[in-house]
Amino acid sequence: MPSALRKLYSYGAVVALYALVFGWWLFFFANQGDFLVERVARQGIELEPATELALRSATQDTMRMFVFEGAFLGVLLLGSMMLVVRALQRELALNRQQRNFLSAITHELRSPIASAKLYLESLLLGRAEGEKRERYLKHAHQDLDRLQSMVDSLLQTARMTTKGIEVELAELELAAELQKIAAELAQEPQTSAAAIELAELAPLNVAADPSALRTILRNLVANAVKYAGPKPRVRWELWSEGTAAVLLVRDFGAGLRDADPKRLFDAFVRGGDEDVRTRPGVGLGLYLVAELMKAQGGSVRARTELEGGGFGVELRLPLAQGAAR
Amino acid sequence: MSGELLVIVEDEEHLAEVISDNLALEGYAIEVLGDGLQALERLRREPAPALVLLDVMLPSLDGFRICETLRREGSQLPILFLTARGEADDRVRGLELGGDDFLAKPFDLRELMLRVRAILKRAAWYRGPSPSGDTLVLGSARVDFKRYVASVQGREIQLSQKETMILRCLAEKPGEVISRAAILDRVWGYDAFPTERTIDNFIVRLRRLLEPDPQSPRYIHTVRGTGYRLTP
Repeated sequence: MPSALRKLYSYGAVVALYALVFGWWLFFFANQGDFLVERVARQGIELEPATELALRSATQDTMRMFVFEGAFLGVLLLGSMMLVVRALQRELALNRQQRNFLSAITHELRSPIASAKLYLESLLLGRAEGEKRERYLKHAHQDLDRLQSMVDSLLQTARMTTKGIEVELAELELAAELQKIAAELAQEPQTSAAAIELAELAPLNVAADPSALRTILRNLVANAVKYAGPKPRVRWELWSEGTAAVLLVRDFGAGLRDADPKRLFDAFVRGGDEDVRTRPGVGLGLYLVAELMKAQGGSVRARTELEGGGFGVELRLPLAQGAAR
Repeated sequence: MSGELLVIVEDEEHLAEVISDNLALEGYAIEVLGDGLQALERLRREPAPALVLLDVMLPSLDGFRICETLRREGSQLPILFLTARGEADDRVRGLELGGDDFLAKPFDLRELMLRVRAILKRAAWYRGPSPSGDTLVLGSARVDFKRYVASVQGREIQLSQKETMILRCLAEKPGEVISRAAILDRVWGYDAFPTERTIDNFIVRLRRLLEPDPQSPRYIHTVRGTGYRLTP
């Protein structure tokens, strides 16, 4: 049974139990006047009609007060219980996230060290000659590249959280800059597997940091390589809206699966359970994208309902002064 | 022994490559799998490998669950966990689920070779002829070392590989005190476990299964501060 349905059933059971108890309580109090008169009659005491009426009326008044106060306290109790349950759920989610982060970071740091170390040890022990020796050296180098990129991301994140981000804004013709960046990414190991398509790009001048722009697009294309198949199709579309240039970077993969769309741009957030790891990474790529966009005076948002499927990120940058339409 | 089949379950391509190349150089036949579910399917089929080198964090099914599932199904395949998560809790979990040894990444090539050889040696010891025979009789209970089964009052109970190995280790020297360290060395490899005390849990379960009164054991005796003695 899916966990959401299970949760709904357990909430339903609590509410039903509560309604049952409250219903019984209400019935008991509403009829308290009758019960009292019957009890008195069973004792053989005959009441005057006026006395009986006064007794019923006084009992009902008291009971009505109990019902209102009880209901108020009950609602208060139920509300408090829900708050406690929510806090516990948040705590559990945080613990799970922390455990996942530790697992991911351990795996991402130790795996390339382990393979590079074994390649080099094999070479030192003379266990690889000729073509194999060349291959081992190349693979050890790739492992160190991967490690360096992970360490760079972690350091960049640490710097951002302590010092904030420093960007150097310059006026750029975005379409031309994007063409340059696409050509560069086609040569980089992390992103070369992606086939980047540039839609007809209108020339737009923006105020942006070229280095930050490269990091942003590198992270987005690397994400597509991780999540949209080994050789993903990635499309960049550019247009202007008011005083902003809008760049959509999208893929045509399976879209968001186990990630929480509300927390996509938070640091160290990855979908699913790290024990059943399907993709490398520690959950920093989109966080860095969002922070770098903010630092340039821009913004970022996820696009999940795209024609043709897939996942996209919409980047908004302010147009350079005088270029706004 | 050269020519034995080893299965490596590892999704990091570079690690799988360098480990399999080096083990192949030692003369082992190697199969590599990169997905948890595929690995489980393969390990259920023949030919059974002499040893499985199993990563923990894997796509589709993690290594701990693969090991747990295999043991529940009665498989006694020797398993060496290779994982980036080398904390004491992970080691204990892996070994209690039925893993034979645990190696944290990054590790030395020579250490890996030594551990592989040690596990295969332990497996060969267990497969080889025992001076005490293939069965152990403790009163009305009978343990079949080959089938990993104990028959108690007409009822057959499946024993784990480790439980059977501990019993066989004790049965090889009846009446003699066997230290905990010696049992660990024979059954797990000495440094695989964080504490010798963990073996006590296995003894408690064995007593519950085989002793008429586990509180005052007649066959498996504790020698305080040293180890255990079997008196059939």
